[in-house]
Amino acid sequence: MSQTVFAPWENPEEKPLIEFRNVTKRFGSFTAIDDLSLDIYAREFFALLGPSGCGKTTMMRMLAGFENATEGQILLSGQNIGPIPPNRRAVNMMFQSYALFPHLSVWENIAFGLKRESKDKEAISARVEEMLRLTRLTKFAKRKPHQISGGQRQRVALARSLAKAPKLLLLDEPLGALDRKLREETQFELMDIQEKTGTTFVIVTHDQEEAMTVASRVAVMDEGKLIQVATPDVIYEAPNSVYVADFIGDVNLIEGRGTTEGERIRLDWAEGQPPIWATPRGPVDTDRALTFAIRPEKVSIAKDKPEDRRNLLEGEVIDIAYLGNISTYHVKIAGGQIIKAQTANTRRLANRDITWEDRVWLSFTETSGVLLEH
Amino acid sequence: MRRFSWFNATSLTLGFAFLYLPMVILVIYSFNASKLVTVWAGFSTRWYVELFQDQEFLDAAWVTVRVAVFSSTIATVLGTMAASVLVRAGRFRGRTLFSGMIYAPLVMPEVITGLSLLLLFIGIGLDRGIFTIVLAHTTFSMCYVSVVVSSRLATFDRSLEEAALDLGCSPFQAFRLVTLPIIAPAVISGWLLAFTLSLDDLVIASFTTGPSATTLPIKIFSAVRLGVSPQINALSTIMIAIVAVGVITASLITKRAAVTQARDEQAAVRATG
Ligand SMILES: Nc1ncnc2c1ncn2[C@@H]1O[C@H](COP(=O)(O)OP(=O)(O)O)[C@@H](O)[C@H]1O
Ligand SMILES: [Mg+2]
Repeated sequence: MSQTVFAPWENPEEKPLIEFRNVTKRFGSFTAIDDLSLDIYAREFFALLGPSGCGKTTMMRMLAGFENATEGQILLSGQNIGPIPPNRRAVNMMFQSYALFPHLSVWENIAFGLKRESKDKEAISARVEEMLRLTRLTKFAKRKPHQISGGQRQRVALARSLAKAPKLLLLDEPLGALDRKLREETQFELMDIQEKTGTTFVIVTHDQEEAMTVASRVAVMDEGKLIQVATPDVIYEAPNSVYVADFIGDVNLIEGRGTTEGERIRLDWAEGQPPIWATPRGPVDTDRALTFAIRPEKVSIAKDKPEDRRNLLEGEVIDIAYLGNISTYHVKIAGGQIIKAQTANTRRLANRDITWEDRVWLSFTETSGVLLEH
Repeated sequence: MRRFSWFNATSLTLGFAFLYLPMVILVIYSFNASKLVTVWAGFSTRWYVELFQDQEFLDAAWVTVRVAVFSSTIATVLGTMAASVLVRAGRFRGRTLFSGMIYAPLVMPEVITGLSLLLLFIGIGLDRGIFTIVLAHTTFSMCYVSVVVSSRLATFDRSLEEAALDLGCSPFQAFRLVTLPIIAPAVISGWLLAFTLSLDDLVIASFTTGPSATTLPIKIFSAVRLGVSPQINALSTIMIAIVAVGVITASLITKRAAVTQARDEQAAVRATG
């Protein structure tokens, strides 16, 4: 294992900062979190990703102390935090609604947590100034929350939760209110702050791009369960289920029946069509229905039949989505299924030769897709 | 859109006349120079001067003010606490019963409230006087305070309190430093409401008072039985003024608070979509 790569989850010696041990949370008869176990390590930027209502906020609220686990335990630095009230946890949360105090100025909002620590005035003042500089809010220190813009409010909320230098910072969809450009800027700002302060971040988002950008690891959730916990590249390149593959990014899914032939798997997906060949990363149970998943950017498109590729699909272009830097071709193959192929637009639009209703060949290598069991 | 019509104008005039004519007459006659209540003899403030020289009235006024201040303050504290419990505690066993019991005095005939309090005070051997009136007024004005405060708390964003806890406040600190300043307008108008209710209560005060404590309404009522005097008119005018100021202030505070709240809520709700 390399020394420079940050991957404490691969090191069995490393003690996690947060441990969810078989945590179940029920609201009445509804199970919001279902027997969930998870380790998060110090200095991680951990992203919780999942559709609305899957239990992300509930996980955060349990960490912050606003909800108690119905079953199981949550440990922070090895200590069960169940009985510790929110005001005694070294955890701060940035609320989904920001929850800025409307009657206090930006300065007082940021100082609020520090004042509870019975620090002296100079120390508080110095810390607040530092936070204001970090979030570029110095000019707005005297304003009330209703006198600043949405993006500035979001930064106040961030500064306020950072001010106490918590061991663990919880960010519940912190960037949802921002437009795309500001959001991207803030993502890098967050990563920068995280690097500078060494705080452990847990961020909730339903924006998969955001999770991929900022996170050291991503947990994909569904209905109170973790589906996959891995680094962004593994989540993207090697999803462990159709759910994850489909949730993260764009993907082509082809269902079929598999047979093992040596190292490779042969997937018969349609009558009279050449099979798809894939080299699986691990053992695959060919008795079960399989789905072959491949990202559009890994599918090449050409008018002439490429001779060197093992996997070839013939079809007709029915739609082209031009996105500026890339184009996505929607190709109808045998059986009526649509496969998406993406190419970088290295040439001007007028110079490209593939157009609507063209017969084209789609091709990909044996290792560019993954086989998923049902 | 809405055009002037004689029908509307007439109904408006009649309605307001019905409501305010008696009071207007009272106010006018309080400035009457004549001792005869029904004969106008020119403008004068002599009844006001006489009023302020009448020790009995001054004593009664002092009792009334003390009762109103103490009872409305206690009622505000208790009513705010009751409102917090009702709005926050979510659903607990007996919640409906509890809230019903808090609001019941609102519709309870005053005579019954007064009588039952009297029986209680006799039962536990409490000497009747200012203290018992304060207790009695607290019991009924508390429900008004709790109605006003709970309607404000119902729209209060709980995540503000959670944020305070998260930043290291104890639950009490969170209430004092965050919740209370934000709901303060509602609490103040609750207090003003309780204050004016206490000022003009006659029935409950009559039941629960003793010989040592006579409030203004009691004083006026007993004086009027011996005949309406211009002094009483003057006194009533002053009370109308105080009550009017109280009610108007309360409604102004509520209105301003509504504006602030709308603004803050807009600030709190994120500009999504
Ligand atoms: N206090 C509560 N009472 C009842 N149900 C709740 C409560 N909080 C959350 N839930 C339910 O738990 C599920 C998960 O909610 P949440 O964690 O907020 O989801 P999200 O992933 O969108 O943040 C939702 O179905 C929600 O309705
Ligand atoms: Mg949520």
